[in-house]
Amino acid sequence: MSDETAREAGSTESVSLEERIARLEEILTRLESDEVALEQALELFEEGIGHVRAAERVLSETQLRVEELLAGGKKKELDVDEP
Amino acid sequence: MSDDLSLDLFPEPEPEHVEVEASVDESEKETVGEPKVWSVSQVNRAVRSLLEDSVDPLWIGGEVGTWTRSRPGHCYFTLKDDRAQMRCVMFNRDAQQLPTDPEEGMKVRVLGALTLYEARGEYQLVASRIEAEGAEGLWRLAFQKLRATLTAEGLLDPERKKELPRYPAVVGIVTSSTGAALRDIVSVLRRRAPWVRVLLGATRVQGEGASVEIALALEALAATGEPDVIIVSRGGGAVEDLWAFNEEPVARAIAACPIPVVSGVGHEVDVTIADLVADLRAPTPSAAAEAVVPDAVVLMEGLREMPSRLAQGLRGTIQRRRSGLREVLAGLRMRVERRIMPVQQTIDRATGRMERAMRSALELRRLRVATAAGKLDALSPLATLQRGYSVARSRTGGVLRSVQDFAPGQPFELRVRDGEVSCEALETREAGPS
Repeated sequence: MSDETAREAGSTESVSLEERIARLEEILTRLESDEVALEQALELFEEGIGHVRAAERVLSETQLRVEELLAGGKKKELDVDEP
Repeated sequence: MSDDLSLDLFPEPEPEHVEVEASVDESEKETVGEPKVWSVSQVNRAVRSLLEDSVDPLWIGGEVGTWTRSRPGHCYFTLKDDRAQMRCVMFNRDAQQLPTDPEEGMKVRVLGALTLYEARGEYQLVASRIEAEGAEGLWRLAFQKLRATLTAEGLLDPERKKELPRYPAVVGIVTSSTGAALRDIVSVLRRRAPWVRVLLGATRVQGEGASVEIALALEALAATGEPDVIIVSRGGGAVEDLWAFNEEPVARAIAACPIPVVSGVGHEVDVTIADLVADLRAPTPSAAAEAVVPDAVVLMEGLREMPSRLAQGLRGTIQRRRSGLREVLAGLRMRVERRIMPVQQTIDRATGRMERAMRSALELRRLRVATAAGKLDALSPLATLQRGYSVARSRTGGVLRSVQDFAPGQPFELRVRDGEVSCEALETREAGPS
Protein backbone atom coordinates (compact mmCIF):
# COMPACT_ATOMS: atom_id res chain seq x y z
CA MET A 1 0.00 0.00 0.00
CA SER A 2 1.33 3.42 -0.88
CA ASP A 3 1.81 6.03 1.81
CA GLU A 4 -0.99 8.13 0.38
CA THR A 5 -3.67 5.47 0.54
CA ALA A 6 -2.23 4.14 3.76
CA ARG A 7 -2.65 7.42 5.55
CA GLU A 8 -6.29 7.51 4.62
CA ALA A 9 -6.63 3.88 5.63
CA GLY A 10 -5.33 4.66 9.11
CA SER A 11 -8.69 5.96 10.19
CA THR A 12 -11.16 3.96 8.10
CA GLU A 13 -12.71 0.74 9.32
CA SER A 14 -12.56 -1.30 6.12
CA VAL A 15 -8.97 -2.37 6.61
CA SER A 16 -8.42 -5.86 7.99
CA LEU A 17 -6.61 -6.41 11.24
CA GLU A 18 -3.89 -8.26 9.40
CA GLU A 19 -3.30 -5.32 7.09
CA ARG A 20 -3.23 -2.91 10.00
CA ILE A 21 -0.68 -4.90 11.94
CA ALA A 22 1.43 -5.48 8.86
CA ARG A 23 1.31 -1.73 8.14
CA LEU A 24 2.21 -0.92 11.75
CA GLU A 25 5.28 -3.12 11.48
CA GLU A 26 6.18 -1.44 8.20
CA ILE A 27 5.79 2.01 9.79
CA LEU A 28 8.05 1.03 12.70
CA THR A 29 10.69 -0.26 10.31
CA ARG A 30 10.57 2.93 8.31
CA LEU A 31 10.70 5.15 11.36
CA GLU A 32 13.80 3.25 12.44
CA SER A 33 15.45 3.66 9.05
CA ASP A 34 17.51 6.61 7.90
CA GLU A 35 15.69 7.38 4.73
CA VAL A 36 12.56 8.97 6.12
CA ALA A 37 12.26 12.75 6.20
CA LEU A 38 11.06 14.49 9.34
CA GLU A 39 7.72 15.55 7.93
CA GLN A 40 7.13 12.09 6.54
CA ALA A 41 8.04 10.58 9.90
CA LEU A 42 5.38 12.70 11.56
CA GLU A 43 2.79 11.53 9.06
CA LEU A 44 3.80 7.89 9.57
CA PHE A 45 3.53 8.34 13.31
CA GLU A 46 0.02 9.76 13.06
CA GLU A 47 -1.05 7.03 10.68
CA GLY A 48 0.39 4.41 13.04
CA ILE A 49 -1.55 5.79 16.00
CA GLY A 50 -4.70 5.65 13.85
CA HIS A 51 -4.08 1.98 13.13
CA VAL A 52 -3.44 1.23 16.80
CA ARG A 53 -6.70 2.86 17.87
CA ALA A 54 -8.70 1.13 15.13
CA ALA A 55 -7.14 -2.25 15.90
CA GLU A 56 -7.87 -1.85 19.60
CA ARG A 57 -11.49 -1.09 18.76
CA VAL A 58 -11.70 -4.19 16.59
CA LEU A 59 -10.19 -6.33 19.33
CA SER A 60 -12.37 -5.08 22.11
CA GLU A 61 -15.69 -4.55 20.39
CA THR A 62 -16.25 -7.28 17.82
CA GLN A 63 -18.11 -10.55 18.33
CA LEU A 64 -17.22 -13.81 16.67
CA ARG A 65 -19.49 -14.49 13.70
CA VAL A 66 -20.15 -18.05 12.56
CA GLU A 67 -21.71 -18.77 9.18
CA GLU A 68 -22.43 -22.05 7.51
CA LEU A 69 -21.66 -22.37 3.84
CA LEU A 70 -24.68 -23.83 2.05
CA ALA A 71 -25.03 -25.33 -1.38
CA GLY A 72 -24.76 -22.77 -4.16
CA GLY A 73 -22.45 -20.55 -2.12
CA LYS A 74 -25.23 -19.19 0.13
CA LYS A 75 -24.49 -18.59 3.79
CA LYS A 76 -26.49 -18.94 6.98
CA GLU A 77 -25.69 -17.43 10.37
CA LEU A 78 -25.10 -20.16 12.90
CA ASP A 79 -25.45 -20.17 16.66
CA VAL A 80 -22.81 -22.32 18.25
CA ASP A 81 -23.19 -22.91 21.96
CA GLU A 82 -20.28 -23.11 24.29
CA PRO A 83 -19.48 -26.75 25.14
CA MET B 1 -33.89 -76.54 8.32
CA SER B 2 -36.30 -76.37 5.42
CA ASP B 3 -39.50 -78.25 5.80
CA ASP B 4 -39.45 -79.97 2.42
CA LEU B 5 -36.26 -81.73 3.34
CA SER B 6 -36.46 -84.67 5.66
CA LEU B 7 -32.83 -85.39 6.23
CA ASP B 8 -31.21 -85.17 9.56
CA LEU B 9 -27.75 -86.40 10.05
CA PHE B 10 -27.93 -85.94 13.77
CA PRO B 11 -31.37 -87.22 14.73
CA GLU B 12 -32.45 -86.27 18.17
CA PRO B 13 -35.11 -88.10 20.16
CA GLU B 14 -37.51 -85.23 20.15
CA PRO B 15 -41.22 -85.41 19.40
CA GLU B 16 -41.08 -83.31 16.25
CA HIS B 17 -38.49 -85.65 14.86
CA VAL B 18 -40.72 -88.61 15.18
CA GLU B 19 -42.24 -87.96 11.83
CA VAL B 20 -38.80 -87.52 10.30
CA GLU B 21 -37.60 -90.70 11.83
CA ALA B 22 -40.70 -92.34 10.59
CA SER B 23 -40.00 -91.09 7.12
CA VAL B 24 -36.44 -92.31 7.38
CA ASP B 25 -37.81 -95.58 8.46
CA GLU B 26 -40.08 -95.35 5.48
CA SER B 27 -37.19 -94.70 3.13
CA GLU B 28 -35.30 -97.52 4.73
CA LYS B 29 -38.26 -99.60 3.96
CA GLU B 30 -38.10 -98.42 0.36
CA THR B 31 -34.50 -99.50 0.06
CA VAL B 32 -35.91 -102.92 -0.10
CA GLY B 33 -37.31 -102.00 -3.48
CA GLU B 34 -36.24 -98.84 -5.37
CA PRO B 35 -33.98 -96.72 -3.16
CA LYS B 36 -34.97 -93.09 -2.40
CA VAL B 37 -32.77 -90.89 -4.60
CA TRP B 38 -31.94 -87.37 -3.52
CA SER B 39 -31.02 -84.65 -5.93
CA VAL B 40 -27.63 -82.98 -5.48
CA SER B 41 -29.35 -79.68 -4.86
CA GLN B 42 -31.45 -81.21 -2.15
CA VAL B 43 -28.46 -82.63 -0.40
CA ASN B 44 -26.39 -79.48 -0.71
CA ARG B 45 -29.28 -77.40 0.54
CA ALA B 46 -29.68 -79.75 3.47
CA VAL B 47 -25.99 -79.67 4.31
CA ARG B 48 -25.98 -75.91 4.03
CA SER B 49 -28.88 -75.58 6.42
CA LEU B 50 -27.24 -77.98 8.73
CA LEU B 51 -24.04 -75.99 8.76
CA GLU B 52 -25.70 -72.63 9.10
CA ASP B 53 -28.04 -73.69 11.85
CA SER B 54 -25.67 -75.70 13.94
CA VAL B 55 -22.62 -73.48 14.00
CA ASP B 56 -22.80 -69.96 15.37
CA PRO B 57 -20.64 -67.25 13.83
CA LEU B 58 -17.10 -67.71 15.09
CA TRP B 59 -13.64 -66.17 14.95
CA ILE B 60 -11.13 -68.22 13.02
CA GLY B 61 -7.45 -67.46 13.14
CA GLY B 62 -5.13 -68.20 10.24
CA GLU B 63 -2.99 -66.86 7.49
CA VAL B 64 -4.41 -65.25 4.37
CA GLY B 65 -3.63 -67.39 1.32
CA THR B 66 -4.80 -66.05 -2.02
CA TRP B 67 -6.91 -62.87 -1.98
CA THR B 68 -8.95 -61.53 -4.87
CA ARG B 69 -11.47 -58.71 -4.99
CA SER B 70 -14.08 -58.98 -7.75
CA ARG B 71 -15.38 -56.06 -9.74
CA PRO B 72 -18.58 -55.73 -7.63
CA GLY B 73 -16.37 -55.64 -4.55
CA HIS B 74 -16.78 -59.15 -3.19
CA CYS B 75 -13.59 -60.59 -1.80
CA TYR B 76 -12.61 -64.22 -2.18
CA PHE B 77 -9.77 -65.62 -0.19
CA THR B 78 -8.40 -68.63 1.54
CA LEU B 79 -7.51 -68.95 5.17
CA LYS B 80 -4.94 -71.50 6.12
CA ASP B 81 -2.60 -72.89 8.72
CA ASP B 82 0.30 -75.27 8.17
CA ARG B 83 -1.93 -78.23 7.57
CA ALA B 84 -5.23 -77.10 6.19
CA GLN B 85 -7.05 -74.36 4.37
CA MET B 86 -10.60 -73.17 3.88
CA ARG B 87 -12.39 -71.01 1.39
CA CYS B 88 -13.74 -67.68 2.51
CA VAL B 89 -15.80 -64.95 0.99
CA MET B 90 -16.49 -61.42 2.16
CA PHE B 91 -19.33 -59.73 0.37
CA ASN B 92 -19.00 -56.13 -0.74
CA ARG B 93 -21.14 -54.64 2.04
CA ASP B 94 -18.68 -55.91 4.63
CA ALA B 95 -15.66 -55.60 2.37
CA GLN B 96 -16.32 -51.86 2.04
CA GLN B 97 -15.70 -51.52 5.75
CA LEU B 98 -12.21 -52.90 5.35
CA PRO B 99 -9.65 -50.12 5.52
CA THR B 100 -7.63 -52.09 3.02
CA ASP B 101 -7.23 -55.59 1.63
CA PRO B 102 -5.04 -57.80 3.81
CA GLU B 103 -1.83 -58.90 2.21
CA GLU B 104 -1.24 -62.54 1.33
CA GLY B 105 0.54 -64.34 4.14
CA MET B 106 -0.82 -61.90 6.69
CA LYS B 107 -1.89 -63.39 10.01
CA VAL B 108 -5.50 -62.49 10.56
CA ARG B 109 -8.56 -63.44 12.53
CA VAL B 110 -11.82 -63.62 10.68
CA LEU B 111 -15.32 -63.42 12.09
CA GLY B 112 -17.72 -65.33 9.94
CA ALA B 113 -20.43 -67.93 9.56
CA LEU B 114 -19.96 -71.30 8.00
CA THR B 115 -22.06 -72.09 5.01
CA LEU B 116 -22.06 -74.20 1.92
CA TYR B 117 -21.82 -72.85 -1.56
CA GLU B 118 -24.45 -75.06 -3.02
CA ALA B 119 -23.48 -74.58 -6.67
CA ARG B 120 -20.13 -76.20 -5.98
CA GLY B 121 -20.85 -78.17 -2.92
CA GLU B 122 -17.97 -76.44 -1.21
CA TYR B 123 -18.25 -75.28 2.30
CA GLN B 124 -16.94 -71.83 3.03
CA LEU B 125 -16.77 -69.11 5.59
CA VAL B 126 -18.78 -65.96 4.93
CA ALA B 127 -16.60 -63.40 6.61
CA SER B 128 -18.03 -60.23 8.12
CA ARG B 129 -14.92 -58.85 9.82
CA ILE B 130 -11.22 -59.31 9.37
CA GLU B 131 -8.68 -58.11 11.83
CA ALA B 132 -4.95 -58.38 11.46
CA GLU B 133 -2.15 -58.32 13.99
CA GLY B 134 -4.52 -57.19 16.71
CA ALA B 135 -7.64 -55.18 16.15
CA GLU B 136 -5.96 -52.30 14.29
CA GLY B 137 -3.56 -54.13 12.01
CA LEU B 138 -5.47 -53.54 8.83
CA TRP B 139 -5.95 -49.86 9.66
CA ARG B 140 -2.25 -49.62 10.17
CA LEU B 141 -1.63 -51.38 6.91
CA ALA B 142 -4.03 -49.10 5.03
CA PHE B 143 -2.41 -46.10 6.67
CA GLN B 144 1.05 -47.26 5.66
CA LYS B 145 -0.01 -47.99 2.10
CA LEU B 146 -1.61 -44.58 1.58
CA ARG B 147 1.26 -42.84 3.27
CA ALA B 148 3.69 -44.63 0.98
CA THR B 149 1.68 -43.56 -2.07
CA LEU B 150 1.45 -39.94 -0.96
CA THR B 151 5.12 -39.87 0.00
CA ALA B 152 6.07 -41.21 -3.42
CA GLU B 153 4.04 -38.42 -4.99
CA GLY B 154 5.82 -35.88 -2.83
CA LEU B 155 2.59 -34.74 -1.17
CA LEU B 156 4.10 -35.06 2.31
CA ASP B 157 7.23 -33.02 1.55
CA PRO B 158 7.95 -30.39 4.18
CA GLU B 159 8.60 -27.87 1.37
CA ARG B 160 4.96 -28.16 0.34
CA LYS B 161 3.76 -26.88 3.67
CA LYS B 162 2.20 -23.47 3.32
CA GLU B 163 2.80 -20.83 5.94
CA LEU B 164 -0.22 -19.90 8.04
CA PRO B 165 -1.43 -16.29 8.00
CA ARG B 166 -0.64 -14.56 11.27
CA TYR B 167 -3.88 -12.63 11.58
CA PRO B 168 -6.60 -14.40 9.59
CA ALA B 169 -9.86 -12.51 9.10
CA VAL B 170 -11.85 -15.54 7.97
CA VAL B 171 -11.32 -19.04 9.37
CA GLY B 172 -12.86 -21.95 7.46
CA ILE B 173 -13.84 -25.09 9.36
CA VAL B 174 -14.61 -28.45 7.82
CA THR B 175 -16.37 -30.61 10.37
CA SER B 176 -19.78 -31.79 11.52
CA SER B 177 -22.18 -28.98 12.41
CA THR B 178 -23.33 -30.97 15.43
CA GLY B 179 -20.05 -32.33 16.70
CA ALA B 180 -18.05 -31.38 19.76
CA ALA B 181 -15.16 -30.32 17.53
CA LEU B 182 -17.08 -27.33 16.17
CA ARG B 183 -18.09 -26.20 19.64
CA ASP B 184 -14.53 -26.54 20.91
CA ILE B 185 -13.07 -24.61 18.00
CA VAL B 186 -15.67 -21.83 18.13
CA SER B 187 -15.16 -21.51 21.86
CA VAL B 188 -11.40 -21.02 21.45
CA LEU B 189 -11.84 -18.58 18.56
CA ARG B 190 -14.40 -16.57 20.52
CA ARG B 191 -11.97 -16.21 23.39
CA ARG B 192 -8.78 -15.61 21.41
CA ALA B 193 -9.86 -13.86 18.24
CA PRO B 194 -13.37 -12.42 18.38
CA TRP B 195 -12.73 -10.31 15.26
CA VAL B 196 -12.60 -13.48 13.17
CA ARG B 197 -15.43 -14.64 10.90
CA VAL B 198 -15.96 -18.38 10.83
CA LEU B 199 -17.17 -20.12 7.69
CA LEU B 200 -18.32 -23.68 8.32
CA GLY B 201 -18.27 -26.31 5.62
CA ALA B 202 -20.55 -28.80 7.35
CA THR B 203 -20.03 -32.46 6.56
CA ARG B 204 -20.44 -35.89 7.99
CA VAL B 205 -17.15 -36.95 9.50
CA GLN B 206 -17.68 -40.67 9.82
CA GLY B 207 -19.44 -43.50 8.11
CA GLU B 208 -19.44 -44.71 4.57
CA GLY B 209 -18.57 -42.02 2.03
CA ALA B 210 -17.61 -39.53 4.73
CA SER B 211 -14.16 -38.99 3.26
CA VAL B 212 -15.66 -37.91 -0.06
CA GLU B 213 -18.02 -35.53 1.73
CA ILE B 214 -15.19 -34.05 3.75
CA ALA B 215 -13.20 -33.55 0.57
CA LEU B 216 -16.16 -31.84 -1.14
CA ALA B 217 -16.77 -29.58 1.85
CA LEU B 218 -13.13 -28.54 1.84
CA GLU B 219 -13.21 -27.84 -1.88
CA ALA B 220 -16.41 -25.80 -1.54
CA LEU B 221 -14.89 -23.69 1.25
CA ALA B 222 -11.72 -23.10 -0.74
CA ALA B 223 -13.78 -22.23 -3.81
CA THR B 224 -15.34 -19.23 -2.03
CA GLY B 225 -11.84 -17.80 -1.75
CA GLU B 226 -12.85 -16.31 1.59
CA PRO B 227 -11.02 -18.26 4.29
CA ASP B 228 -7.45 -17.26 5.07
CA VAL B 229 -6.93 -20.63 6.71
CA ILE B 230 -9.05 -23.79 7.01
CA ILE B 231 -9.33 -26.22 9.91
CA VAL B 232 -10.23 -29.83 9.06
CA SER B 233 -11.41 -31.40 12.25
CA ARG B 234 -13.23 -34.07 14.19
CA GLY B 235 -13.46 -34.92 17.85
CA GLY B 236 -11.98 -38.06 19.36
CA GLY B 237 -13.28 -41.55 18.63
CA ALA B 238 -12.34 -45.09 17.78
CA VAL B 239 -10.02 -45.82 14.89
CA GLU B 240 -13.00 -46.62 12.68
CA ASP B 241 -14.66 -43.32 13.58
CA LEU B 242 -11.62 -41.32 12.56
CA TRP B 243 -11.08 -43.42 9.49
CA ALA B 244 -12.43 -40.96 6.94
CA PHE B 245 -9.43 -38.75 7.75
CA ASN B 246 -7.14 -41.60 6.73
CA GLU B 247 -8.66 -41.98 3.32
CA GLU B 248 -7.37 -40.84 -0.01
CA PRO B 249 -10.13 -38.36 -0.96
CA VAL B 250 -9.46 -36.28 2.16
CA ALA B 251 -5.70 -36.52 1.71
CA ARG B 252 -5.89 -35.38 -1.93
CA ALA B 253 -8.35 -32.56 -1.18
CA ILE B 254 -6.05 -31.20 1.53
CA ALA B 255 -3.00 -31.49 -0.71
CA ALA B 256 -4.80 -29.66 -3.51
CA CYS B 257 -6.23 -26.91 -1.31
CA PRO B 258 -4.71 -23.53 -2.21
CA ILE B 259 -5.50 -22.20 1.26
CA PRO B 260 -3.38 -23.34 4.24
CA VAL B 261 -5.01 -26.27 6.04
CA VAL B 262 -4.63 -27.15 9.73
CA SER B 263 -5.78 -30.58 10.86
CA GLY B 264 -7.15 -31.27 14.31
CA VAL B 265 -8.48 -34.80 14.38
CA GLY B 266 -9.22 -36.90 17.45
CA HIS B 267 -6.93 -36.82 20.44
CA GLU B 268 -3.24 -36.15 20.83
CA VAL B 269 -2.31 -39.77 20.09
CA ASP B 270 -4.29 -40.03 16.87
CA VAL B 271 -2.20 -39.27 13.84
CA THR B 272 -4.11 -39.44 10.59
CA ILE B 273 -3.15 -39.16 6.95
CA ALA B 274 -4.96 -35.81 6.98
CA ASP B 275 -2.48 -34.69 9.67
CA LEU B 276 0.44 -35.66 7.47
CA VAL B 277 -0.83 -33.83 4.40
CA ALA B 278 -2.05 -30.74 6.25
CA ASP B 279 0.16 -27.67 6.40
CA LEU B 280 0.07 -27.97 10.17
CA ARG B 281 -1.04 -30.82 12.42
CA ALA B 282 -2.72 -29.82 15.64
CA PRO B 283 -3.25 -32.59 18.21
CA THR B 284 -6.90 -31.69 18.91
CA PRO B 285 -9.69 -29.46 17.53
CA SER B 286 -9.04 -26.86 20.25
CA ALA B 287 -5.33 -26.89 19.53
CA ALA B 288 -6.10 -26.34 15.85
CA ALA B 289 -8.13 -23.24 16.75
CA GLU B 290 -5.28 -21.98 18.91
CA ALA B 291 -2.83 -22.56 16.10
CA VAL B 292 -4.69 -20.50 13.50
CA VAL B 293 -5.30 -17.27 15.40
CA PRO B 294 -3.15 -15.09 17.63
CA ASP B 295 -4.25 -14.54 21.20
CA ALA B 296 -6.20 -11.30 21.54
CA VAL B 297 -4.61 -10.70 24.94
CA VAL B 298 -1.09 -10.89 23.54
CA LEU B 299 -2.14 -8.83 20.54
CA MET B 300 -3.67 -6.20 22.79
CA GLU B 301 -0.44 -5.98 24.79
CA GLY B 302 1.47 -5.50 21.57
CA LEU B 303 -0.92 -2.76 20.49
CA ARG B 304 -0.63 -1.00 23.85
CA GLU B 305 3.12 -0.80 23.43
CA MET B 306 2.77 0.44 19.89
CA PRO B 307 2.24 4.18 20.54
CA SER B 308 5.42 4.41 22.60
CA ARG B 309 7.32 2.41 20.00
CA LEU B 310 6.04 4.73 17.29
CA ALA B 311 6.97 7.75 19.39
CA GLN B 312 10.43 6.32 19.92
CA GLY B 313 10.77 5.83 16.20
CA LEU B 314 9.73 9.41 15.62
CA ARG B 315 12.17 10.70 18.26
CA GLY B 316 14.86 8.64 16.64
CA THR B 317 14.12 10.23 13.31
CA ILE B 318 14.24 13.69 14.81
CA GLN B 319 17.53 12.96 16.55
CA ARG B 320 19.00 11.52 13.41
CA ARG B 321 17.86 14.59 11.48
CA ARG B 322 19.39 16.85 14.13
CA SER B 323 22.71 15.08 14.23
CA GLY B 324 22.52 14.99 10.46
CA LEU B 325 22.25 18.75 10.46
CA ARG B 326 25.21 19.00 12.77
CA GLU B 327 27.18 16.84 10.44
CA VAL B 328 26.19 19.01 7.51
CA LEU B 329 27.30 22.11 9.36
CA ALA B 330 30.59 20.56 10.36
CA GLY B 331 31.10 19.48 6.79
CA LEU B 332 30.31 22.92 5.55
CA ARG B 333 32.76 24.51 7.94
CA MET B 334 35.43 22.08 6.90
CA ARG B 335 34.83 22.84 3.26
CA VAL B 336 34.99 26.58 3.91
CA GLU B 337 38.16 26.17 5.92
CA ARG B 338 39.67 24.09 3.21
CA ARG B 339 38.97 26.87 0.74
CA ILE B 340 40.20 29.61 3.05
CA MET B 341 43.40 27.88 4.05
CA PRO B 342 45.35 28.44 0.81
CA VAL B 343 44.25 32.05 0.72
CA GLN B 344 45.37 32.49 4.27
CA GLN B 345 48.68 30.95 3.43
CA THR B 346 49.04 33.16 0.39
CA ILE B 347 48.31 36.16 2.51
CA ASP B 348 50.71 35.01 5.17
CA ARG B 349 53.39 34.39 2.65
CA ALA B 350 52.76 37.73 0.95
CA THR B 351 52.80 39.55 4.25
CA GLY B 352 56.09 37.94 5.15
CA ARG B 353 57.57 38.86 1.86
CA MET B 354 56.32 42.39 2.22
CA GLU B 355 57.75 42.67 5.67
CA ARG B 356 61.05 41.34 4.55
CA ALA B 357 61.02 43.66 1.54
CA MET B 358 60.22 46.64 3.73
CA ARG B 359 62.89 45.67 6.20
CA SER B 360 65.56 45.40 3.54
CA ALA B 361 64.40 48.65 1.93
CA LEU B 362 64.71 50.38 5.27
CA GLU B 363 68.11 48.84 5.81
CA LEU B 364 69.22 50.08 2.46
CA ARG B 365 67.98 53.52 3.21
CA ARG B 366 69.59 53.54 6.58
CA LEU B 367 72.83 52.53 4.95
CA ARG B 368 72.49 55.24 2.37
CA VAL B 369 71.73 57.79 5.04
CA ALA B 370 74.74 56.69 6.98
CA THR B 371 76.94 56.94 3.91
CA ALA B 372 75.47 60.29 3.04
CA ALA B 373 75.99 61.42 6.56
CA GLY B 374 79.61 60.40 6.33
CA LYS B 375 79.97 62.26 3.14
CA LEU B 376 78.14 65.23 4.53
CA ASP B 377 80.35 65.16 7.47
CA ALA B 378 83.37 65.19 5.26
CA LEU B 379 81.93 67.99 3.21
CA SER B 380 80.72 70.00 6.11
CA PRO B 381 82.30 73.47 6.32
CA LEU B 382 82.27 73.08 10.03
CA ALA B 383 85.10 70.64 9.77
CA THR B 384 87.04 73.15 7.74
CA LEU B 385 86.24 75.78 10.29
CA GLN B 386 87.61 73.46 12.88
CA ARG B 387 90.82 73.47 11.04
CA GLY B 388 90.99 77.31 11.30
CA TYR B 389 89.23 78.46 8.22
CA SER B 390 86.32 80.88 8.40
CA VAL B 391 83.49 81.75 6.04
CA ALA B 392 82.37 85.23 5.19
CA ARG B 393 78.75 85.74 4.42
CA SER B 394 76.75 88.77 3.56
CA ARG B 395 73.99 89.95 5.79
CA THR B 396 71.63 88.26 3.36
CA GLY B 397 73.37 84.97 3.88
CA GLY B 398 75.26 84.65 0.64
CA VAL B 399 78.80 83.32 0.88
CA LEU B 400 81.37 85.93 -0.03
CA ARG B 401 83.98 84.04 -2.06
CA SER B 402 85.74 86.74 -4.08
CA VAL B 403 87.29 90.17 -3.71
CA GLN B 404 84.62 91.19 -6.06
CA ASP B 405 81.99 90.28 -3.44
CA PHE B 406 83.26 92.92 -1.08
CA ALA B 407 83.04 96.62 -1.18
CA PRO B 408 84.99 98.86 1.26
CA GLY B 409 82.94 99.61 4.33
CA GLN B 410 80.59 96.71 3.66
CA PRO B 411 79.51 94.78 6.77
CA PHE B 412 79.64 91.08 6.72
CA GLU B 413 79.46 88.18 9.06
CA LEU B 414 82.36 85.94 9.63
CA ARG B 415 81.57 82.40 10.63
CA VAL B 416 84.28 80.87 12.72
CA ARG B 417 84.61 77.59 14.57
CA ASP B 418 82.71 78.68 17.65
CA GLY B 419 80.51 81.55 16.49
CA GLU B 420 80.11 84.56 14.29
CA VAL B 421 81.95 87.83 14.14
CA SER B 422 80.38 90.98 12.67
CA CYS B 423 82.98 92.67 10.44
CA GLU B 424 83.41 95.55 8.04
CA ALA B 425 85.51 95.46 4.92
CA LEU B 426 88.29 98.10 4.97
CA GLU B 427 90.02 97.63 1.66
CA THR B 428 90.04 95.06 -1.11
CA ARG B 429 93.20 93.79 -2.86
CA GLU B 430 93.19 91.41 -5.57
CA ALA B 431 95.76 88.75 -5.28
CA GLY B 432 98.14 88.27 -8.18
CA PRO B 433 97.58 85.29 -10.43
CA SER B 434 98.90 82.12 -8.81
